[in-house]
Amino acid sequence: MPTVQIKDEARIGSEARIKLQPSVYLEKLFQTGTPDLGWMSQHGEWGMRAKPGNLGLRLKDIEIGSYGVIPDRGGEHRSMAPRGSVVPSDVPSLGFTINEKAECWADNAMELYEEAVARQWSSARDIPWSELKPLPDDLEHAMCQLCTFLTEVEFIAADAPTRWMSQINQDFLEIKLFLATQAMDEARHTDVFRKRALANGGGLGKASALSQLSLKRIFDSPSFSAQTARLHLLGEGFVLTMFRQGEFIAPSRVDSEIFRRCMQDESRHVGYGTMHLRAQLKARPDLAAEIHEQLDDAESILLQLFSVPESVEPMAILLGGGLKHFDQGMEMQANLWRRIVNEYLQRCDSAGLERRPRCLLPTDFTKLFAA
Amino acid sequence: MAAKFPDADWFLALGRLMEAEGESFRRLGYAEVRFVVRVVGADGRAERETAVELDGYKLERAAALHDAPGFDPDFTICATGAVWDRMLDEIVRDGRPEARHTLSSLALVGEELWLESQDQLREDKYYRYNQTLQELLNLSGKLAR
Repeated sequence: MPTVQIKDEARIGSEARIKLQPSVYLEKLFQTGTPDLGWMSQHGEWGMRAKPGNLGLRLKDIEIGSYGVIPDRGGEHRSMAPRGSVVPSDVPSLGFTINEKAECWADNAMELYEEAVARQWSSARDIPWSELKPLPDDLEHAMCQLCTFLTEVEFIAADAPTRWMSQINQDFLEIKLFLATQAMDEARHTDVFRKRALANGGGLGKASALSQLSLKRIFDSPSFSAQTARLHLLGEGFVLTMFRQGEFIAPSRVDSEIFRRCMQDESRHVGYGTMHLRAQLKARPDLAAEIHEQLDDAESILLQLFSVPESVEPMAILLGGGLKHFDQGMEMQANLWRRIVNEYLQRCDSAGLERRPRCLLPTDFTKLFAA
Repeated sequence: MAAKFPDADWFLALGRLMEAEGESFRRLGYAEVRFVVRVVGADGRAERETAVELDGYKLERAAALHDAPGFDPDFTICATGAVWDRMLDEIVRDGRPEARHTLSSLALVGEELWLESQDQLREDKYYRYNQTLQELLNLSGKLAR
């Protein structure tokens, strides 16, 4: 094998502040040439042969033997040593604070992770940008304002949960893997809506103090589960319906492709959040009170958000097919509002949270206007 | 004689096209979902129901629902024959339905086409795999009619 040439090799380490001595092991190896191999007798369960299924070797396929046992409480060492490995006694703690399985787990996380990896897409490659055609000003303004809102809010679903991700015990690796895909999804959503706003003769519109307030409350949530309720159950559930509306209102194939692909991603996030809350509330029913309080506040902000022109009017213009059909658009928005509330409450049901009596969201859209 | 929508054989023919397409469905990513396609009559009752299962990148199974005892769908897609026919006609004409007549758009409004499911989480698979479901139906433009 030819020797790799390294620039100024003689200078490397010439001014190093620390001088290292070779380890006892390396000295012995150098002197005897005999490998130690002690590590070969230190291992987790041996003889595993995970078998790939028809879609390859997925996480569920390696949940076998002791490796498939997810502990109710994560390792006390609080390090990133892999679950199932032999963990030395002197590993430094990384100070994880989410150490109970119920605090973060969802039974569908592995499935959602693999699905997310398999269904990734590229906003540069998979959106038929070249088919974008000039739109009437009212439609372009409305689409750009909607894209501004979505660009503004989407990345919270990366920034906020990843703050907690670094606090999750490494024994719950599958949850971290899923949250990493969610962060990647949100990066793509942020980029694709920004690209759309800038791609057809428009540009970014007006940002919103109320949007920022809702993001701040998500960011400042007191626990991961509280954040999940605000973010995944209400926020992303709401955005999921907006994405579904997006395909319906899309004035071009470019727009419908964007919204449909985002919709698929967002469904996974909502799926994780709902299942996590189901697991958490089953383990700690007392937490329902905290979740309800979070949702009281989140619903209240959502209602305020839906009370300003830059939130209401773009959707009505797009739904109606133009400013001249604004009334029709508002009528359609009223019908869709019922769907948003209905699906949100059904997800609460799925999570095991009896939200109906306490819900602030009116099922009748016109009540948003009533004093 | 060519199979007609919603015969099981019609879906199986779509499944063969799906496998032949191969790469385009792989690009979309796999789908694991069981659903029923229901053609609703004027009286609101089910006229025809077909059970369909997608497993990965292939259509694993299609059968008349009454021939599939124990079939546990994630959701049932319900629409009148006229709505299904309109979608399939548009697919034949343009390769895909009009934007407001796609599976996603119709289910959003929920008047002409709607979903039934026991669990919102399972219903959400309709949205998680929506592009795959739509592309599968879009293949019907290549079927003999």
